[in-house]
Formats: sequence, C-alpha cells, structure tokens
Amino acid sequence: MEEASRIDEPNRNPNTDRSSNPNPLSSIISSAHVWPTIDGPLGLTEEASVDYARRFYKFGFALLPWLWAVNCFYFWPVLRHSRAFPQIRNYVVRSAIGFSVFTSLLLAWALTFSIGGEQLFGPVWDKLVMYNVADRLGLSGLA
Amino acid sequence: MDRNQQRPRSSILDSLGEELIGILTPVSICMFTVVLLVCLLNSDPSSSSSFSSIATAAYSETDSDSPWDKLLGAFLNSLVFVAAITVATFLLVLLFYLRCVTFLKLYMGFSALVVLANLGGEISILLIDRFRFPIDSLTFSILLFNFSVVGVFAVFMSRFSILITQGYLVVIGVLVAYFFTMLPEWTTWVLLVALALYDLAAVLLPVGPLRLLVEMAISRDEDIPALVYEARPVIRDDSRLVQRRVWREQRSNVNDDDVENNVVRAEEEEEQRSEEISVPLIDSSSSSSSRPETFLEGIGLGASGAIKLGLGDFIFYSVLVGRAAMYDLMTVYACYLAIIAGLGVTLMLLSVYQKALPALPVSIMLGVVFYFLARLFLEVFVVQCSSNLVMF
Repeated sequence: MEEASRIDEPNRNPNTDRSSNPNPLSSIISSAHVWPTIDGPLGLTEEASVDYARRFYKFGFALLPWLWAVNCFYFWPVLRHSRAFPQIRNYVVRSAIGFSVFTSLLLAWALTFSIGGEQLFGPVWDKLVMYNVADRLGLSGLA
Repeated sequence: MDRNQQRPRSSILDSLGEELIGILTPVSICMFTVVLLVCLLNSDPSSSSSFSSIATAAYSETDSDSPWDKLLGAFLNSLVFVAAITVATFLLVLLFYLRCVTFLKLYMGFSALVVLANLGGEISILLIDRFRFPIDSLTFSILLFNFSVVGVFAVFMSRFSILITQGYLVVIGVLVAYFFTMLPEWTTWVLLVALALYDLAAVLLPVGPLRLLVEMAISRDEDIPALVYEARPVIRDDSRLVQRRVWREQRSNVNDDDVENNVVRAEEEEEQRSEEISVPLIDSSSSSSSRPETFLEGIGLGASGAIKLGLGDFIFYSVLVGRAAMYDLMTVYACYLAIIAGLGVTLMLLSVYQKALPALPVSIMLGVVFYFLARLFLEVFVVQCSSNLVMF
C-alpha cells in the first residue's frame, strides 16, 4: 500500500515516508499521498497530471504510439491502483489500448515484410526495404 | 518499509556514493555506446578524408601530408572551431541577458529534433546497412518519427519523466559524439586539448562567457538555458524536497539552448560545459535543517541540488574514448579510467570550491596523456609480452 508511492528507480533512497498518515487503508481511500507519476514526489501533482495525461493522449493520435507508451510508463502508479485518480486513469488506459493496437498492427506488417521477403512480395520488396531506399536517396554515409 | 525512517543521515558517505553513481552511470553508458558504434561501423579507419564540417574548415587532412603539416592544420582547425564556439556562447549570453526565453527554448527543441532525426536517422541507416536488417522504409520512418518527436517533448517540456529525459539526453550525446569521431585524427586530438583550455578559460576567468552565464542565472534564480544533464536528486527528507521542487517550478522553466555551428552536412550542438550548484538558490527555504543536511547541502551535493553536467562534457568524453577505440581497445580502457578519474577529481573539487567548475580540463588532459602513453609505451610492452607468452 505504501509501496504505491515508492514505485521508483532502485537508485533512490527508500526513505520515503511521505505519507504522514500511519493508516495505510485510509491513504488508499484518500489518495492524497499517492503520487500519480512514476517519479513520485519529484513528478507532477495530481492536477497537472490530468492535463499532461490528456495532452499526451491527444498528441498520440498523430501516429505517435511511443508517446502513448511513455504516457503509460510515466503514470504507471495510476495503472497499478485501480481506484485512485479516476480521471487520469481514463486517459492512461486508453493510451495503453491505443499503443497495443498500433504496435500489434505495425509488428504484423514489419514481420510479414521481413519474413515474407521476396517470395511474398516479389520485386516490390527490393524497392521497399530500407537499405535500398537509403542507397537510392543517398542517405547512407555521413560523408 | 522502515528502512532509514528514524535514523538521520549521519555522514556524507551515506548519499555520496549514490550521487556519484547518478552521474557516472550516464557518462559510462554514453562512452560505451559510442565505442560500440565505432567498433561496429568503422571498418576503414582512414576513410574520413571526405568528411567536412566547421571543424575541418581551415584544413582537410589527407594521408600524404607530413606530420608537421598535419599538426599545423589541426591547430588551424581547432582555432576556427574554438572561435566559433566562443562567438556562439557570447551570443547565448547576450540572448539570456535580454531574456529571450521563448526563443532559446524553441531553438533548443529545434536542435534536439535535428540531432535526433537527422543524425539518429543516418546512424540507424548505417547500422541497418551494416547488418542488412530487413526493415522496410515505412516502419523505419514511423519509428524514427516517433523517436524524434518524443525526444523533442522530453527536452522541451520541463516536467517530463526524469528517466526518459535523461535517456534522451544521453542519446543526443551519443549521436553528436559519434559524428565528431569522424573528424580527422590529428584535428580531433588538438581540438580536444583546445576545448579543454577553452572550458577552463570560459568558466574561471571573470570575463568568460560561461561564468557570466552562471552568475546571471544565479542572480536571477533561473535555470541556465542549455542542454544539461541533471542527475536524479537524492531524496532525504521528502517534505522539504517537495517544497523545493514546487518552489523551483514557479520560476521560469528550464529553457535550454545549444549553440549551433554551421556544418556542411549536418548540424552539431555545443552545449555548456559547466557543472553548477543549484543549492544556493534553495538553501534559504530550509533554515531549520539539521546539521548533517546543511552540511551536505553546503557542498553542493545536497538533496535538492542534484549534480548537473553539461551535455558538451558527455560529448567530448565520448569523442576521446571513441577516437581511442579507433586505434585499439587497450587505449579505450586506459582512456576510460583516466576520464572517470578526472571526473571524480572534478567532483571533489566541486565539493571543496562550491562554485561552477569546468568538467572538461582535468578529464581531457588525463585522457589524452593516457592515450599517448598507452599507444606509445603500453602497447609495445603488452605485445612483446604476449608474443613471448609471458602475459596474455
């Protein structure tokens, strides 16, 4: 329960008795001392997090699934505790769903392309593969 | 979880290791990645003659010149480069003085985008080419686009995930450092020494641009506008830390900037190279701290002021190690140890002098000395030992 506020990197000091409330149950219910971001007290406050979560979610629609993934990573405590932060949780869960869908589609396409190879695609494969495209456009080689 | 809840910090050693590790880890990761890239991508070490940038504007090294010509040419190159850096840094000081905060922040975001998209894309294409990885152009462009845009967010926005911001700063350092290792050899070494001397002058002389910048930032209680790596602050007393964090927030956010030189093929950034202490800004709000805390805060490694290291330091350490990797891995080990030792010395000096110090000179000087010692003396010794089966 108190671990809610301690989801942090291992190189941080565990001296994190931020909740002056000794009763773990009420701290869950009050949710005033559980930080919504993975950075804990170094991160955002709850009000700012709602704004951030919403902005990340909306920007992710511009073909940015990585931004959705970052959103989920950053607000990981929100995902872990299903009853705290209802507004943030809304956006974070939707970001997670969006990220999974997009990634599965992209992965399916990429795997089909790389495993199928020439047999599946024919001569188009050579035109689409990255190292040939780079050669054609002169992108490879910094000099 | 009752570890350390009641026991106060009794000595600096409790948190010193953590703070040091917080800055040594990213530096080591950056150097390691650059060495990895150099080893993977450089099969032909003498093919850098067609590489042009501002650092080779005065003289392009060819294989047929005499050593004296090469040395002279390298001096000219470094002079041009250091002059360009000085002009750009003074420009940065001027803009900071005129409080053009938005412009600097936009510029920083723009240069992060250019580095991540352009240099990142080119280096990934080199890697794909080398390994013949069957990725198609659509997937590649989507991945690159994602990577760069989120990187710009990380660098641009002030309240972003600490880990991701640190990761992106290290990646930017790696990309720019790899780009710099493609300079001709003599130019690289003379340039490193020249930049170490420049750093010393710029931070310690009263007229130096970096010193002016730090003093202005301290007097205005703002953050310096540059790409600066900030280690995660060590939490000791949570309530005070939260106060500090919020208090810092209300001032203008980090408006970073880099100095950009006109490069023919690609752009590179030059960031500030000074370590700074943000503790003096924050100490006033915590007058009731216990003695160990004030002592720790006093030396600049306290709970609030995390150690900051400019991205230029990352870049030039990695350039040194990358260039050492082009010769042999033995020089890499020697230079890595020298740089880490230099960084340790610099941090110790930081705790003694408690002001912004240049992080380049000690490490670069030690690194260069160790490189030439390893190359000229150590290698002969080790090769002789190995070939006579005395030592492997």
